[in-house]
Amino acid sequence: MRRKVIFEHKLLPYLLLAPQLAITLVFFIWPSVQAMWMSLLREDMFGLSSTFVGLENYVRVLSDPGYVAAVRRTVVFSVAVALLALLPALLLAVMVDKLTRRVATYRVILVLPYAIAPAIAGVLWLFMFNPSVGIVAAGIRGLGFAWNPKLDGQDAMILVILASAWKQISYNFLFFLAGLQAIPKSLLEAAAIDGAGEWRRFRTIVLPLLSPVTFFLVTVNVVYAFFDTFGVIHAVTQGGPAKATEVLVYKAWYDGIIATDFGISSAQSVILMAVVIALTAIQFRFIDRKVTY
Amino acid sequence: MFNRRRLLGTTLAAGLAGALTLPAAAQNRVPVEMWIGLTGIAQELLIGFADAFNAAQDKYQVTVSFKGQYPEQRAAAIAAFRAGNPPHIMQMFDAGTGDMFAARQAIVPVSEVYAKAGLDFDPSIFLAPAAGYYGAPDGTLFSQPLNVSTAVMFYNKAVFEKAGLDPEAPPATWPELIEATGKIVASGHPCGMTSTWISWIMLEQMSAIHNTPLSTRQNGLAGLDAVLTFDNELVTRTVATLAEMQKDKRFDYGGRSNDAAAKFLSGECAILLQSSGGHGTIARDLGAPFGVSFLPYWPDLIETPKNSIIGGASLWVFNAPGRTDEEFRGVAEFLAYLSSTEVLKRFAEATGFLPATNATFAAMQAEGFFERNPGRDVPVLQLTRGTPGEFSKGYRFGRWTEIRDFFHEEVERALQGAVTPEAAVANAVRRGNEALRAFERTAN
Repeated sequence: MRRKVIFEHKLLPYLLLAPQLAITLVFFIWPSVQAMWMSLLREDMFGLSSTFVGLENYVRVLSDPGYVAAVRRTVVFSVAVALLALLPALLLAVMVDKLTRRVATYRVILVLPYAIAPAIAGVLWLFMFNPSVGIVAAGIRGLGFAWNPKLDGQDAMILVILASAWKQISYNFLFFLAGLQAIPKSLLEAAAIDGAGEWRRFRTIVLPLLSPVTFFLVTVNVVYAFFDTFGVIHAVTQGGPAKATEVLVYKAWYDGIIATDFGISSAQSVILMAVVIALTAIQFRFIDRKVTY
Repeated sequence: MFNRRRLLGTTLAAGLAGALTLPAAAQNRVPVEMWIGLTGIAQELLIGFADAFNAAQDKYQVTVSFKGQYPEQRAAAIAAFRAGNPPHIMQMFDAGTGDMFAARQAIVPVSEVYAKAGLDFDPSIFLAPAAGYYGAPDGTLFSQPLNVSTAVMFYNKAVFEKAGLDPEAPPATWPELIEATGKIVASGHPCGMTSTWISWIMLEQMSAIHNTPLSTRQNGLAGLDAVLTFDNELVTRTVATLAEMQKDKRFDYGGRSNDAAAKFLSGECAILLQSSGGHGTIARDLGAPFGVSFLPYWPDLIETPKNSIIGGASLWVFNAPGRTDEEFRGVAEFLAYLSSTEVLKRFAEATGFLPATNATFAAMQAEGFFERNPGRDVPVLQLTRGTPGEFSKGYRFGRWTEIRDFFHEEVERALQGAVTPEAAVANAVRRGNEALRAFERTAN
């Protein structure tokens, strides 16, 4: 018989939770409330004059063609980053899963990039692809392409997508590998005995059983592309040339810190916050139920 | 080299002296905080000046802190001000000047700081273009010039010789520059010229030396309701020329801010338009003989080019609740120290920035500095040549940091061939005016 543990103190659970709650309050709730409040104001940069303008900032943001263009750009960027981060990771995980020797060595090597700070990753890529001194840029030019991410928006976009995706592959690889190793070998053996080939086993057994992991990673990667790529973009292109790599989170930063228009910047932050809350809600409510385990 | 080593030695000694006297005296001293955005040798020097100042008196304790480069430092200062605790003195780069002028309640004009402290002060000790840029029409100086620079042309003499050009006769006009870069590229060199800070040089400096307005209302000096009007022949033609030259690498775009300097330092481009403050780095890293010359001009638009305008940064004094008269007195004493000939001479000689005061320039001339360092006088001569025209006295706009980026973006589009030069300049004007109107609304 199991003994039920009952704590007499009504206060204790709250006390134990307090540090976590305090951190959430100070670092999340409070700044969010402040951003929401500031998004309703029109202020000068030093906060000397402050006027309540209701939803004017939201109207200005959403009717700004520059913002709409940034939304479109962000969608392209995020989908590309997520795909380029997921597919190679899945491939690598499947390969490593098949290994019988030196599994640990491969795993460590493949996970290493995740330990590199986004800004450092950005700078590494910037150097390799620098049109004047970069070794990869020299190679691309040798093949006859006019590579110039400093002036060509498309080249710049390719560069930040590659740099952002590369860093995330390691993370995805770890989850895929864990997911693969959790798939019962007996299922695969049974299928093999029934005559299913490698590709068929992968498509009809591995992929469906991997779907919870995949859906989790899709959400994580999209959120990553939305928010965590600031460091890479700031180090590599600063949103340029001519705004070609300015995604939403970069625009919010630029409009707040460089243009010092805090109302507009706060409104953008609040919109971004709504997006990420929606994404997370979808992840928890919808996908968790629909995905086969 | 000897000069620089001696200087570092002095700085170090002053620093040690400061550190040794700190514990005993620091308790009763009035603290003065100064935030700067300079790196490298300029930063080391400023920290050394503060230490020397602290060692020389026992009433004030000046602390100089590096808060990131200009934009980050500005953001940090804004945040600190909004939180009610800004630094006493803050360094603000040229483009932020208009924002500061409009924030009249946040700052105390330098002239007023000196007056409050009972110190004699004459704004005309500073180079005229600097005093004009950072001052009000009535002569009140709002911020104190510190690191003053202007844009000049650097050129690689070795490449000039290889291309059959006279290394002692650099191109003076745009047509000559176009011809020279053509010869350089034809001789097999990968790039003719490049330019840093496209907006500062191709828009602001070009407009000044051609005495062409950037906007109505005296380039914004007369009021916040100024409307940008730089969609004119000069700017459009300059952008069109760059776009044309980009096609065969007579001009090669090297990115925003200072990024393009790398293309000159690596030897890839033969000519560089850059801040005179970059002289020290070029002397150290180029590894080839180089010359310094004046910015090119269009002879059909102006016969004799006017003075160029200043860049760099100046020192602003913040106001904040609870600031005591004693603190302002300390600020004034330190600012006076930072405008002394001795300090500014050391600063200018070591960094490549211009001497900020007339007396410093005279002192450097007297000791033969410019004979020993050819080319270092070009920026001063260019800044002070002729009588300033109506539109070469500088400009003042809010949100200019952002408007510069609009110009950069539009020029980038023109260089890509995505829009015509006319459309690019017109777009920059339109977007700039939207930002100016938004600024005008928040400033009132």
